[in-house]
Amino acid sequence: MAEVILNNVSKAFGQDTALDGVSMTIPDGAFVVLLGPTGAGKTTTLRLISGLEKPDTGDILIGGRSVVNDTPAQRDVAMVFQQYSLYPHLTVHENLAFPLKSPILRTPEDEIARKVAEVAEVLQISHKLNNKATELSGGEMQRVSIGRALVRDPSIYLMDEPLSSLDAKLRSDLRVELKRIQAGLGATLLYVTHDQIEAMTMATHVGVLDQGRLVQFGTPREIYENPVSLYVASRLGLPRINTLPVALFGDAPAGAATIGLRPEHIAQGQGRDSTVTRVEHLGDQTRLHLSLEQHDIVTLTDVHTTLRPGDTVAIAPRNPLYFDTNGTRIA
Amino acid sequence: MTDNPIERAATATPPRLARRIKGLSDRAIAWIFVAPTIFLLLAVNIFPLIWTINLSFTNFRANRPNREVDYVGLRNYERILTDSDIWLTMQATAHFLFWTIFFQVLIGFTLAWLINRKFKGNDLWTTIIVLPMMLSPAVVGNFWTFLYQPQIGLFNYVVSFFTGVDPSSFEMIGSVNLAPWSIVIVDTWMWTPFVMLICLAGLRSIPDYIYEAAAIDRASRWRQFWTITVPMVLPFLMLAVLFRGIENFKMFDLVVQLTGGGPGSVTELTSINLKREAFEKWRTGYASAYAIILFVTVFGLASVYVKALNKVKER
Repeated sequence: MAEVILNNVSKAFGQDTALDGVSMTIPDGAFVVLLGPTGAGKTTTLRLISGLEKPDTGDILIGGRSVVNDTPAQRDVAMVFQQYSLYPHLTVHENLAFPLKSPILRTPEDEIARKVAEVAEVLQISHKLNNKATELSGGEMQRVSIGRALVRDPSIYLMDEPLSSLDAKLRSDLRVELKRIQAGLGATLLYVTHDQIEAMTMATHVGVLDQGRLVQFGTPREIYENPVSLYVASRLGLPRINTLPVALFGDAPAGAATIGLRPEHIAQGQGRDSTVTRVEHLGDQTRLHLSLEQHDIVTLTDVHTTLRPGDTVAIAPRNPLYFDTNGTRIA
Repeated sequence: MTDNPIERAATATPPRLARRIKGLSDRAIAWIFVAPTIFLLLAVNIFPLIWTINLSFTNFRANRPNREVDYVGLRNYERILTDSDIWLTMQATAHFLFWTIFFQVLIGFTLAWLINRKFKGNDLWTTIIVLPMMLSPAVVGNFWTFLYQPQIGLFNYVVSFFTGVDPSSFEMIGSVNLAPWSIVIVDTWMWTPFVMLICLAGLRSIPDYIYEAAAIDRASRWRQFWTITVPMVLPFLMLAVLFRGIENFKMFDLVVQLTGGGPGSVTELTSINLKREAFEKWRTGYASAYAIILFVTVFGLASVYVKALNKVKER
């Protein structure tokens, strides 16, 4: 396991800039989640660290050593691809054993068998070890490709939306399992997702990418509570942050154009009157959809609320975030 | 009126026809549809085969249709299998088959592998390489006689350019030792592109991300080639070998144009030999037995091979 440092890394594909001067330190043993919409440069970052792509400019260090001219093999990284990149003509066992059979490692046969069995157990695919890779369901294939990374002990694990193709139950199981494995091994892990629950629950650090630029890097709490911009603020949080014109409530710092209100940052029973448009009972929480001067607002309320559409609720901001016209946070 | 297409078809059927097919079961209708194909197959495939088997036990001669035909039992088969000349043509065929397939697979796969590295202009190269395949075998056989010409032939000139041997000191077609190789060279020149195309299809069917995963798994280029490329292209390659094997077992036009089976009979492949027996010497019964022996041989070899092919595919 090792610390990984990106130093002002840029990469373009023809006319398209995929990464634009990204600097980031992935501490040894950290679980770093990269967030961002499609095309923000998340996958490119993984491919640059793995050595499948070379950066146009900038430096990448693994364990203090510059690796930009190294092959993927020399970098000793493990990667889980977004699509199931299994070897289709091999069995599950052979797929899992493949990285261990590298001549660099010279792993003895019984050691290989033990590791494969162990990983298969964790990922619940032990009963499929003798199946061919093509005879698996999508979820099973993805578990095998996660397993193919986990059998190794690399300097860093790179995972590109590994859970996105799994069903909800398996996804939440594996989320816990992955976090447990990572913590147990003390592994350094860089994880790409656009699922904010994965980001909040697993990450020690979150990096937010916007069109090839790293706009904020910090703990999940920092990113959630102290976003640098409206863009970052809307990456995390469900229901999403409400963005309203600042004039709606008044009393704002100079230069503020937008007020950002997380659902839990709205006090009820005081302030301005709004109309209830919809009440969603989710069981563990109840979402209240409100309308104030044609603006839709989502907030949370008591699980056993008696409010109904058409009712009136007074609301006021509590710990709001203020952004200027460019979406930059000013308070 | 109804919108159901089946009911619409039913109402559109003329009443007379409708009455006639009303009593037919689904099975009977199925037979009606399949019947023309079955009839054609029987007429042009099965019947001639059975008739040939029948003829192979006789001394029938097609150029003397009025002569009395005697059944001679297994004598035709006995004569063929003990004829040393026929064993020589079998040897010539085996030599031709083995070496053409060997070179075509070797060169074809190498070319495919080179073309598959994405370089500029590889489409143009593919087209150029594939050109020989588009020519008529008779034309190819004919113009290679000029290329092999000792005094003015390009082939002899190129060989002499690289080796320093006098170009008129050897004759590819005229020499007993070289003639079997001359037909191997021409067939390889003409059909390697075919093997290349099939191998290329196989190589292109391997997605890039598998190689990327292998690179991350620290498999060397050499190991990637043997554990990914070769196993995944093998079914395609075996298919190419099957096609070339069947084609070359019945090779006729190209070799007839090129060497005419000579010198002597060193390039007289079985199909050429068979044609001579049947349509030059008019020994129809004898040639029928010959054809049956070849049929059984090819059929037997091909079925064993297809079984192996299926096994490879299932892996």
